[in-house]
Formats: sequence, structure tokens, C-alpha cells
Amino acid sequence: MALLEVQGITKWFGGLVAVHDLNFNVDRGEIVGMIGPNGAGKTTAFNMIAGFYRPNEGHVYLDGKDITGLRSDQICQLGLARTFQIVRPFKEISVLDNVMVGAYNRTGSERAAQAKAEEIIDFMGMTSMTRQTAAGLPIASCKRLEIARALATNPKIILLDEVMSGLRPTEMDETIDLVRKVNQRGIALLLVEHVMKVIMALAGRIVVIHHGEKLAEGRPDEIVQNKAVIDAYLGEVKTSAAN
Amino acid sequence: MNQAEKLARESVKVHELGTNWLRDLFLDWDKVQMAAVLLVIIILGLSPRVVQSPYYMSIIILTVLYAYVGITWNIVAGFAGQLMIAHLIFVGLGAYTTIVLLERFRVTPWLGIPLGGVTAGLLGFLVAIITLRYGLKADYFALFGIALMTVLRVLFMKIKFIGGGEGIWLTFRGESLEKMAFLTKAPYLYLGLGLLLVGSVAQFLIYRSKMGKYFLAIREDESAAGALGVNTALYKTLAVTIGTAMAGIGGGFYVIYVTFVDPPGVFNLGYNVEMALAAPIIGGLGTLAGPVLGAILNKPIAELMRGWLSAERAGSSLIVYGAFLIFFVLFLPRGVVGLIQHPYERLRRRLLTNLQK
Repeated sequence: MALLEVQGITKWFGGLVAVHDLNFNVDRGEIVGMIGPNGAGKTTAFNMIAGFYRPNEGHVYLDGKDITGLRSDQICQLGLARTFQIVRPFKEISVLDNVMVGAYNRTGSERAAQAKAEEIIDFMGMTSMTRQTAAGLPIASCKRLEIARALATNPKIILLDEVMSGLRPTEMDETIDLVRKVNQRGIALLLVEHVMKVIMALAGRIVVIHHGEKLAEGRPDEIVQNKAVIDAYLGEVKTSAAN
Repeated sequence: MNQAEKLARESVKVHELGTNWLRDLFLDWDKVQMAAVLLVIIILGLSPRVVQSPYYMSIIILTVLYAYVGITWNIVAGFAGQLMIAHLIFVGLGAYTTIVLLERFRVTPWLGIPLGGVTAGLLGFLVAIITLRYGLKADYFALFGIALMTVLRVLFMKIKFIGGGEGIWLTFRGESLEKMAFLTKAPYLYLGLGLLLVGSVAQFLIYRSKMGKYFLAIREDESAAGALGVNTALYKTLAVTIGTAMAGIGGGFYVIYVTFVDPPGVFNLGYNVEMALAAPIIGGLGTLAGPVLGAILNKPIAELMRGWLSAERAGSSLIVYGAFLIFFVLFLPRGVVGLIQHPYERLRRRLLTNLQK
């Protein structure tokens, strides 16, 4: 049984079908990438899985348990955490407090939550910022903080929504290493990403979405050769680069 | 730096610090703030030895009460970010509960004041449930509170049993511990300081707990908090219920001291600003010492303005007081505490680097 099973989820906004009959799985400890052109429905799918939208049809299972329509905090308690594409740090409180909010997901004790948060902050290489308020952090650190908070909730899977956007190439390489380290803790990852280099480096499997539907699924080397994917998505990148 | 190295350094640090509790306290900003609050409480507790005038004693007692009510608003609005603008509703309800129980049913204030907390907390709970049900947030939540205050003012004026528009008085004029009635001001001051001490400690414990961190997370970003496992509906309800119940207790004490309450006086937005909102805003909303430090500036300044400017045009004292509040909102959004936090952090860093040498 897969860790995360997405079965035929569909979401429409008024007359617009944002995601239609989307199916895919994520196994324990696996990294799955989700790609597709802008407006393909990646973030909508993400929001349905994490409990921010309720799908109109279909089901999402986490560890065999139906989580469709649960609130995001219930889903988080069951072991699925997410980050936001536009970072949402708790600005006026310290980095430590930010991560402690995540850590309290599994404990009620201040001491335990603080120890857990400090361990995660250390793991993410943010020790020097522990007492700083999140308001002053540069974007790369905010992205790290997003991951740190999600990690502190002790999840089985993290949904990473474009963690690379807005980063410089060197920061991107660091973040790739970091994401790999997170995965090595046995945590499965579902990445939504625009930067193909990142997806190719990290994902064991890729799901391609186009017009709200799954266009293709497979290993990265299969995906880059897939005719339909090249026409719909990768091809566009080449033409725009040529212009 | 690897884990072992870090642990070794930590343990050295802890060892050094363990020898000096004062240094320990100094390194924890929350505890520094609590120490400041305790200092203020002690100084105010000694004031009857110096202050003779009942007028000044009265200002001190009201300062203590405003600090306490400020704390209760700070929990709702400062920690959890719920814009309960008409917070005085709950002070008023607590006051009415206490005095009606005493005057009409001969229930001692020692029981009546906690019961005032219960009725206020129940109404606060209802407000939280209703606003959650209809998704009223931020400014709409604030408007709901203002509307409720207006409704309660009209409603309370119509009910003869609780005094109607004329209000309700304490009839007993004498000294009785059971009726919490005293001929001098000092006992009221000590009762008020006891309440303030309990309120400050409660605020500190809430702030440092899981619940407190969840309140802050909701204030900062509700949906991000939800994604990290915070049941936002539950914790918003908790914040509002706790804050309003504590405000009700303050109201009970208020009416025992001023001996009178009427609907236009207590369900009053202007007085609401002075009694509940001003102290945390001046002192630093969302901080631990804010309400207390704010109150010792707020009440005396409001009172002095009234004294100095009473000979001028009617209302001129309110203009000056209003300008004073606007100054704080505009130029010191983090209040007095925000002002001292900066130099404190610098001092703390210097101390830490000295320790590590």
C-alpha cells in the first residue's frame, strides 16, 4: 500500500475545471515531482491533498486512511505537512518559536518541543538565526524555515510547493542537498517545481499535469523523452529559450 | 560545528550559568519582563506608606485595575490577534453579575466576582462560536463586538431588576470583609494587586505554553498555523473565552471598588479605549510587560490631562489624550517594551560573547 494515494480527485471553480480525475501515488520515503505549465492545476491539487480545498470528487488516502475533506490541522496530525510557495513565516516571533509551533504537533511539553525545534534548526543549518525574528530573514532562509517548521511536525510526507522559486543558483544547490537530507530521514516528499534541473536531480518519479489532467507519469529519463510531455511542457521551454 | 562539539560547549555554558541565577534570569527576555512587572507591583504595594491623598490612591488603584484588564485584552488581541475591540462588554458583564448577586441575592463578592468571570466567559465563548460559525474575522469580528456592546447597553437600560438606565449601587456603606467593603483605600489596593499578580502569572504561563505559541501562530498567519497542526477554531475559542472570563473577574472587582455601574458608563466605547485598550497599546501589544508598563503611563496621564485641562474648553483633555495614543500607535507600534527590547538584546549579546570567551 502506498503512503499517499490520490484517487480521481476533481476540483472545479464555477465552470472552470482546475483539476480533473487526477490519480497518483507516493510510496514511503519516495520523492515524487509534480510538474506542468502555469495554471495546470498543480497548486490546486496540492491544496486538495493538504486539506485547504475539498475535492468535488475523488479521495485522498494517507497510510490507508481516507483524509478527504479533513481540516489541514487534522491532516497534519496524521502525518502530512506542507510548505507554501509564497513563504508564510510567523514574522513577529523568533525562528525558534516558529519551529516550536510545528514541534508542538507531537508534544505538549515546552521542554520537548524546544529540544525538537533546536535539533531541527541545527539540522537545517539555521542555528545562528535561532533568536532572530522571522521578519528579518532573507528569502532563502524563509524557505528553509518553511521546511524546518514542516519537518518539526514529525511528518511521514511533506508537500513542498516550489521551494526553489526566488532562489539564486548557489542557494538552489544548497536547498537540493537539504531536501535530499530531509528525504534521508525517511520522509517522503511531493515536490511541485518549475525548475527542471531540480526535479531531475531529486525526483525518483515525475507526474506531469496539463490542463488539470495527468499527462504522463514515470522516471525522469522517461519523462524527458515522452512526446506528449515535450509538446505540452518541455517543448515550450525550448522555444521560449530560443526566442 | 558537529553535534558533540556543540553539546560540549552548551554544557560549559550551562555550567557557568548555573552558578548565577541572576544571569540566568537576565538571559531570558520573558523573565526580565516578568521581573519588571513584579517590581511595579511591589512599588505600588508600598505606595500607601507614602501617598496620603485618597484622590491619588484612587488613581493608583484604577491603574492597577487597568493593568489587569489590559492583560486580559492582551491575551485575546495581543497574543491571539483576535480584534475584540469592545472588550469592556465583559468587564461590564462581570461587574453587573457581581453587584446584582450581592444586592439582589446577598451573595458575597468573594463568590460573586468569580461568577462574574463565569458569565463573561460564557458570553465570550458564545461570541467566539458565533463569529467562527459565520466566518467573521478581523474587522468584521471587531464590528460584531461593537454591535454587541450597543445591543447590551440598550438591553440593560430596559431591565428594571438590574437597575435599568439609572444603574445599580452598592447599598452597604461600612466595613465588612464578607461584603468586601472597606473604609480606607489600602485594602482595595492590595486586593487589586493580588488580582494583577495572578493575572500576570497566568499571562506568563499561557505565553510560555503550547497554547500560547499556538495563539501567536494564529495571530501571525492563520492558515499557516493550520498547516502545522494548529486547530485554529479551538484555539481562537480558547483565547477569547479565557480573556473574556478574566475580564469578567476584573469587572467584579471594579464594581466593588467604584460601588456603582450603569449601562452607558460601562458599555461605552470611549471608556473601553481608556480602560482596556490603551495600556497594552502604550506598553506594547502582545508583550508580557506591556499592559502593566502601559497602565502606569496611561491612567496617570489620562487623569493629569483631565486635571490640567478641565478649565479649558470641554473635551480638550480628550484631544490631548487621543493625540498621546496616536503618537504611540504611529511611532512606537511595539510600545514601551519594544523601546527597551532593542538595547536589551544588544546587552544580552555582549554578555553571551563575554561568557563564551
